[in-house]
Amino acid sequence: MTTEQSPARWLQVVIGWHLLAAAAALFAAILLLTGGGPAGSMALWARLLAAFLLLGWGMGSGAAAFYIYHRIHRGRTLSLFTNYLAFVFFFLAACQIMGVFLGIDTLANNIGRGLPFLLLAFIGYLIGTAADRYEGYYARQQQITRISQGIMVAGGLIAALAAGLLPGLINLLRQLGNPTALGLVIGMGICLLMLWLMGREKAAAALHAQTHHEAMINGYLFLSPNLLGFLIFFAGPLLLSLYVSFTDWDAFGTRNWVGVQNYQRIFDLNIATLSSPTQRADEVLDVTLYGELARFTIAGRSIIVGARDRLFWIALRNTVVFSLLAVPLSVTIALVLSNLLNSKLPGIKFFRAIYFLPSIAAVVGISLVWQWLYNSTVGFINYGILTVITFLNNVLGTEMADPAIRWLSESRTALLAIIIMAVWQTVGFNTVLFLAGLQNIPGDLYEAATVDGAGKWAQFVNVTIPMLAPTTFFVITTTLIKSLQVFEEIFILTNPVGGPDNSTLTLVVYLYQNGFQFFKQGYASAIAWVLFIVIFGATLWQFRRQQQSVSGVYDV
Amino acid sequence: MISPKLRLLTLLILVLLLVACGGNNTSSTNNTGAATNDNAAAANPTTPPQPAADIALRWRTRPDNQEEANVYATVSATLDQQLEGISLTYEPGGSETASYQDVLKTEIANGTAPDVFWIPGTDVADFATRGLILNLASLAGATSGFSVDAFYPGPMFHLTYNPDSMASGGASGALWGLPRDVSTFALYLNLDLIAEAGAPDPRELAANGQWDWQAFLEVAQAVHALGPDIYGYGANAWWGPYGTWMNAAGGGFFNEDRTACNLDSAESLAGLAFEQALYQEYNVAVPYGEDSEPPFRAGKVAMFQNGRWATPGTRTVTFDWDVVELPKGPAGNAGNWLFWGAYVVNGSLTGERAEAAWKLVQALTTAETQATVAALGANIPSRVSQEAFDAFLTYTPPANNQAFLNGLADSPATEGPLWAGSWPEYAPVMDAAVQALMTGSSTLEQFAATVCNDANRAAFSR
Amino acid sequence: MKSYRLTQTLQNAAVYLVLTGFAALMLFPFIFMIATSLKEPADTFRYPPRLLPRAPVFVEMAGYEQDLPLYYVTVDGDEEQYALVESGIRVGRYAPADNLAMELVRPLTDVTPTEEMALVNGEEKPLFLVEQDGQLVPMVLVGQTALGRFVNPEDPTQETLANVRLSQPVERLTAHPDNYRRVVELNNMGRALTNTALVTILVVIGQITTSVVGGYAFARLKFPGRDSIFLFYLGTIMIPFVMLIIPLYQIMVLVGWVDRLASLIIPWIFTAYGTFLMRQFFITVPKEVEEAALIDGASRWQILLRIFIPASVPALATQATFTFLYAWNSFFWPLVIINTGNERNHVLTLALNVLRGRASDAPNLILAGAAISIIPPLIVFILGQRFFVESATSSAVKG
Repeated sequence: MTTEQSPARWLQVVIGWHLLAAAAALFAAILLLTGGGPAGSMALWARLLAAFLLLGWGMGSGAAAFYIYHRIHRGRTLSLFTNYLAFVFFFLAACQIMGVFLGIDTLANNIGRGLPFLLLAFIGYLIGTAADRYEGYYARQQQITRISQGIMVAGGLIAALAAGLLPGLINLLRQLGNPTALGLVIGMGICLLMLWLMGREKAAAALHAQTHHEAMINGYLFLSPNLLGFLIFFAGPLLLSLYVSFTDWDAFGTRNWVGVQNYQRIFDLNIATLSSPTQRADEVLDVTLYGELARFTIAGRSIIVGARDRLFWIALRNTVVFSLLAVPLSVTIALVLSNLLNSKLPGIKFFRAIYFLPSIAAVVGISLVWQWLYNSTVGFINYGILTVITFLNNVLGTEMADPAIRWLSESRTALLAIIIMAVWQTVGFNTVLFLAGLQNIPGDLYEAATVDGAGKWAQFVNVTIPMLAPTTFFVITTTLIKSLQVFEEIFILTNPVGGPDNSTLTLVVYLYQNGFQFFKQGYASAIAWVLFIVIFGATLWQFRRQQQSVSGVYDV
Repeated sequence: MISPKLRLLTLLILVLLLVACGGNNTSSTNNTGAATNDNAAAANPTTPPQPAADIALRWRTRPDNQEEANVYATVSATLDQQLEGISLTYEPGGSETASYQDVLKTEIANGTAPDVFWIPGTDVADFATRGLILNLASLAGATSGFSVDAFYPGPMFHLTYNPDSMASGGASGALWGLPRDVSTFALYLNLDLIAEAGAPDPRELAANGQWDWQAFLEVAQAVHALGPDIYGYGANAWWGPYGTWMNAAGGGFFNEDRTACNLDSAESLAGLAFEQALYQEYNVAVPYGEDSEPPFRAGKVAMFQNGRWATPGTRTVTFDWDVVELPKGPAGNAGNWLFWGAYVVNGSLTGERAEAAWKLVQALTTAETQATVAALGANIPSRVSQEAFDAFLTYTPPANNQAFLNGLADSPATEGPLWAGSWPEYAPVMDAAVQALMTGSSTLEQFAATVCNDANRAAFSR
Repeated sequence: MKSYRLTQTLQNAAVYLVLTGFAALMLFPFIFMIATSLKEPADTFRYPPRLLPRAPVFVEMAGYEQDLPLYYVTVDGDEEQYALVESGIRVGRYAPADNLAMELVRPLTDVTPTEEMALVNGEEKPLFLVEQDGQLVPMVLVGQTALGRFVNPEDPTQETLANVRLSQPVERLTAHPDNYRRVVELNNMGRALTNTALVTILVVIGQITTSVVGGYAFARLKFPGRDSIFLFYLGTIMIPFVMLIIPLYQIMVLVGWVDRLASLIIPWIFTAYGTFLMRQFFITVPKEVEEAALIDGASRWQILLRIFIPASVPALATQATFTFLYAWNSFFWPLVIINTGNERNHVLTLALNVLRGRASDAPNLILAGAAISIIPPLIVFILGQRFFVESATSSAVKG
């Protein structure tokens, strides 16, 4: 800590470090670009990316040294930035090399042995809550709190020990013997030291920091975990997916750039005129390339539409049909139920809880249950229908036949079956959301309406609906986005997936098939982007509608 | 007041994360797979690896139920003892509904696939042409006493197919694996229902040579007359069952050299027409696409078409049951399939690991191993030998095991890969078109007009 | 006044009726799941289906090695409980050639064939001597069927022939909680449960942490580029997750997390949606409180911990609910990234997917597995019911 004796000295250390780091980064970047040394084994794109990042970082570091030398505050900001980034990088790399992330597997393996002791910690917590009872007896309260905290810490520690804390620590220390890991940890230390040096009040004063500087540094600092993770796990993959969608990659071999060929294939339609509505498709279409998608008659002319990728259009149609049915159904039922629930009747909370139940359960588990309910030969749903029909026939003396609906095995009903289940699953959650919206509507609006002589229905139409508009927007949008991505229900309920006769083939199912069954990852990525455009369009449309309806409210 | 609690929580998380650091080195190299016992392995993170001499191999099959998984685990333990210098880990894969093959390919793509694994016969070409499995021909050539003739010729034809020279056989220069077992279809009979309907016993009809499509239809109709929810026939919606009707009429999925669709040939259409009539005209069958197993086991189906693999499950039913071979079609045979799957070797193996894997493949297909597996009752050994047949006949019930062997003898069509195209893309197109036909949403004419265009475009366009 | 109260009561009754009806619809699949998970396999494959698990009742009878199942049969117009002694008895339906409507059922072995023939509907049919009321009457065979022989367990001399399939078996209620133990053993469900819980907890903690600090930065700290970054965040909320699967998979291959629990946790602790929610909540906190604290020399961390977090417990609970449900129920990503063979790293949804194949002939086991995956979140939900429902609501209003 000799640096503290003279301000110039510690600033010199920082400047020196930044210059050194900039030089090192530059050297490494050149190595990467020329492909010398250990960089030779890396893929070109990885080398370019790494070199680019290193160059940027090196320049930042060099600039930091320059500005600090001239006592300009930007130097402090840059120094903190570069050191922080380097620290995060070193930290993540060290964790990766020392196997911390992979260690989660081991944790899952061992945690079972620690669980009983965690119960002890929980008991400690319960004791702690008991302290609230001794309001006013300060000493007693303090005592209990201390005891409870002691038990909690002890329980946690024992649990950790039982789950293998010591072997974990030993293993971690042993990993330090690995020179790379040691280097990374030392790098982490240096960066921490620099961060501390430049973060101090002293440094702020030396570089003439102002309040807005502080807000900026803190702002980036607070956002950084989120932003970094977002860039790595979201923006990065997004760009990668865009790139893959322009290649013919199959997950095993090399990727070849094919330009917009994948997109062309998706949208490639061929429209031809038929001489008669029943003419065979192969007489007018090149059936080695195009499959028949639809035929219709407009103004006496029969037209046939062929598609290069017939299944994509079928999947698009199914997705749209699913959303157009599932979303309004779910939202309308939820709206009605929430209005019924929005009263002070006893037991309402009980119903509210029950309606929420299906939203909690895993779609996979729920689908397995419905699969048996839907079984057309021994399932409960058809048995229920039969019972009702027999009853009606007996009472009314009619002779209605048992429809024996083949829920999941007939193309006419399969999508409907999925829709029913999806509505059942989402309606409770939406009800609760609507309920919240309803409870936020000021009561005097209704009173005013009553004074004006409006009936219940008029109140519903003129007060409830407009006032609920923001909630409705939220509910419709989230339900819509979810239903445009429907996959799990179909994956479990239908066999073959997307069947029968492609009637439940949705875009995500088709994407899965292409990416992970036919191993056409490039093509699957292109489908994903098309799906994004669909979802984006739907959301935008919703947004427009909401804006209109909101302005409508203000007009009133 | 929230901060001390928060601090404690943070402490707890940190501690947990520290724990997480521990012992990663145990699980990184080998997933000590076999499902159940994992506490021991991770308890001491510093477990030394296996003695250096042993080559550790992982292998996988697609078990249909837990009993099967247990039998393979036993086989693995036995072979682990027998094979010098090789240590084995068996891992049960997912079942068909869990997309066994898709997962396998995904694993191969990122290098985590097992060393030896089973794949269905239809998928051999897809794996081989992508270079995902090893050509074992040179290893086999160096093995004294090995002959491809010990196994059924049907599977071996496909397993020795060389896509470059388009030749097959012992000298083709290709060997993609060895067949684990074979199986054929039979009709599982609910004898109680047939007796109640007063219909003739199909087993007697078969013994007298009268078991043809007409006789089959009459039995099915007689049973269906018992009630609208009683079915004469049931089969599941995949290529196996509808394939048999096509085969029995002299048709098939592909043309002679398996380079194009043959679903619209007159013979194939004739077979499909009869099957369609079962569903649409006579209404004697469990609705197409509905799983026929639940109603069969609920006692509502008289004749349930399924493979040997359905036997263990059927043994729990409460009614009187047996099996009979499929009825003979216009082409003179029952059109049965010879189902098979093969043990293959991961394409990334080289050197002594490849040799060890080849040893394992051989060990898994010896007569002894196959007998152990066949005793389960789920399949038939893939080696041609009278002893195997005789042993197989003792695995009762069903009493009429001979029906399966008759199926094998009745010139079945061999399940086969599609070297010229992509089977994973051919099958869904075919499935969807047949489903539309059987559920009445398309007619035979519509089917004939489009199916081959669609199928050829999907599977042969690369 | 009275009529008003009457209307009110009627209205309430109608509301309750509708609510109860919907509640029954909502609950039935769960009840079915629990009930089926307690059944025996044979009991699950039956028609007509029965909700509650039942087992047939057997009776011990002298002269028979095994216990015999009891059935309800109609004897002389009364319904009695008889034991099934023998099934599949071939019987013929006989009728006089001149009166086909008068059918009698006799075992094929109880009639005597004759040489004579009779003309029925223009067809020659052989005549059999069939015993009727003590007399032998020549009749033709109209059809065949099979019946079971039922015996009165109290009086073995009383017996009757009846159709077994259409007879109702005598049953008692039963339960097989053993199914749960079997599923856990079969599929390592215990491990999957631990994994799911661990993944869920870590994802919830991670998401809350990142979105609280991120939301605070967006809400209260000014820095260059803040608003454009926020807009970018908003835009990404509507990007379908499936788009990321393939490239994210590649990144996981790159860092070696394929098949590891880390791949189920680390990428999912950064959330635009959660950050957005927290920001919306934080901007409602009065600025004056914060400024006063700043003047007192509190750091931003202290302000966040002491002022903002306590004030936003409902929002935190909302966020936790969403994340919990999302992490616990996620299926697609684990399906892709975790190998089927590696059961040690399976989460519950994956274990269920394997189970449904491996126990495809035992719905009782499959539904026991489903129950295992569904019940823990249910318990969490019931414990924190008020929290969940009321907090889920606050989000919508802001959102």
